Amino acid sequence: MIGFRLSAQRPPDPRRVNDVVVQRFDHVYEVDPALMRDHFQQHDLPAWDTRRIVDSRWEHLAWMHAHWADSVVSGEELMSAEE
Amino acid sequence: MTATMVTDPVIDELIGICGPDNVFADRSSRVNRARVPAPFPVHRWAEHVPDVVVLPTTAEQISEVVKLANRYRIPVVPRAGGTGLTDGAVPLRQGIVVDVKLMNKILELDLDDRTVTVQPGINMLKLNEELQKHGVIYPDDPASYPCSLVGGRIGTSGWSLIGGRYGHTRDLVISFQIVLPTGELIWVGDGGGRKVRKSSTGYQLKHLFMGHQGTLGIVTEAVLELVPRPEAEFAAFFSYPDYETAWRSTGALAKSGLATLAGVVLFDEWKLAYLRRDDEAYIPQPDDVRCVVATAMYGTTDEVRPGAKRLLRIGKDTGGAYLGDEISQGDWASRHDRYATPLHGRLRDGQVVPMSWHCEDASINWTQLPAVREKWHDIVARLGDRFRIFDDWGMFAYTNGAFKPWGDYLTEIDVGIWEQELDDEAWDAWVTAKRDIAAVSIAHGGSISACHGACREGEVDLVPEELGGGWDVMKKVKRVLDPLNIMNPGKYLLDQAYEDGPS
Repeated sequence: MIGFRLSAQRPPDPRRVNDVVVQRFDHVYEVDPALMRDHFQQHDLPAWDTRRIVDSRWEHLAWMHAHWADSVVSGEELMSAEE
Repeated sequence: MTATMVTDPVIDELIGICGPDNVFADRSSRVNRARVPAPFPVHRWAEHVPDVVVLPTTAEQISEVVKLANRYRIPVVPRAGGTGLTDGAVPLRQGIVVDVKLMNKILELDLDDRTVTVQPGINMLKLNEELQKHGVIYPDDPASYPCSLVGGRIGTSGWSLIGGRYGHTRDLVISFQIVLPTGELIWVGDGGGRKVRKSSTGYQLKHLFMGHQGTLGIVTEAVLELVPRPEAEFAAFFSYPDYETAWRSTGALAKSGLATLAGVVLFDEWKLAYLRRDDEAYIPQPDDVRCVVATAMYGTTDEVRPGAKRLLRIGKDTGGAYLGDEISQGDWASRHDRYATPLHGRLRDGQVVPMSWHCEDASINWTQLPAVREKWHDIVARLGDRFRIFDDWGMFAYTNGAFKPWGDYLTEIDVGIWEQELDDEAWDAWVTAKRDIAAVSIAHGGSISACHGACREGEVDLVPEELGGGWDVMKKVKRVLDPLNIMNPGKYLLDQAYEDGPS
């Protein structure tokens, strides 16, 4: 059993991506907290919960592909074969 | 039909018809069936709460409910998934909401003649989970795919993401049973055979009862088309530095003649700007990605792979840059389920506010897309100048033809609305903007709606203009089939059919 780990709770410090977006995890973007101050408060999420949400999203998209067809054709593969 | 008459004796009769567990007069059951995701004046929610909700389980029960409504002159509003983007399922005069969600059975699967017969409360995703076991699917694929129901798709004459390959709801529903506004049960299709796709016998009544938004009856059973489950899916998203190039590329891709091509979608600069705020697929894109064109193909592997090569070549030759597998495959998969997308908008100072997604749609020919786009954005910009609660979320244009994905496009402008801040002044301005958007569509030779239906407040005022002499026929049909104006009264301006009193 894995016990409490601070790294699983506390998200990394954000780095700025552009004027309105910051980033704490690879491929995961969030609205600049300064823009979620007056009318709509940003939630504090533990790191594990962000990862759970992102993983669930990928699972959902994979499920949707499998729901509609047996296989997904890769454009990158087709293009590299043409070159 | 102007007043409600749902008294206790009426509720007792409804219980006698549907059973004690299927009649609901409590507040939450009624309040939750007052609206749909379409633009809705939330500050006037109470005006749309029905008097009673019934959840019948058979066609005969629905027939009896409608006959009761005729006896007591009570409005009846059919409701399926309640996911429509016009207000077909919104009660305008209270009355009885007939919710068909309990009628969700598969009645017959015919793999020889390639049909499945279902009740109207079944959802397409759940249906396809069963059909997949037999190597077939029912390819009606709206953005509400996981939550909308077959009955609502017929009532709306819905549009499908992959209609360019497989057709839209009107093409995929072969025949159906419907309770008429006076309670009779009839079956309509192409001719009389329930599984016949093409007939020249009599009038084409199936289309009359498609897209009536609950004004001509309640569907109780439907025979649906089956197609082979696709072996392969291919999605390709291309980026462009400007709208002109993307628009021309869209036309070239749509006219490619590739039989497996299911759809082509053009996202304009406003849409890209919106996506760059919140969408992980678009935030990291370089600045020269100003517009995007999305394409998708389905079929056998032997068809899709060579077709995909051709599609990639056309995209490249017309100025597009392939955005890669991750965004192409991931974004396409998310298109089947747009109702799950959490939404928030921005005020002009950048602050985030909770907003609901509203989209105005139209059928617009390819040649007219650039001009319509400019005018629609101007309308929404003027609205935003006056009221901070409106946020332009951009436009897309999606191939609209069934089986032949060229010619005209489902064209939408998405507008975020901070609904909690609505008041009468803002709502009136919104309705005026919607009417102006519809007027642009008609002026450019289009149709007010490709997908949602045109009975929303605002644009509905222009339906007589769009239909011309057909509007008079529509009123006559309504009056003949619904002499007491029982079915969804107030919708589609059809009260005009009774201006000299009930027939």
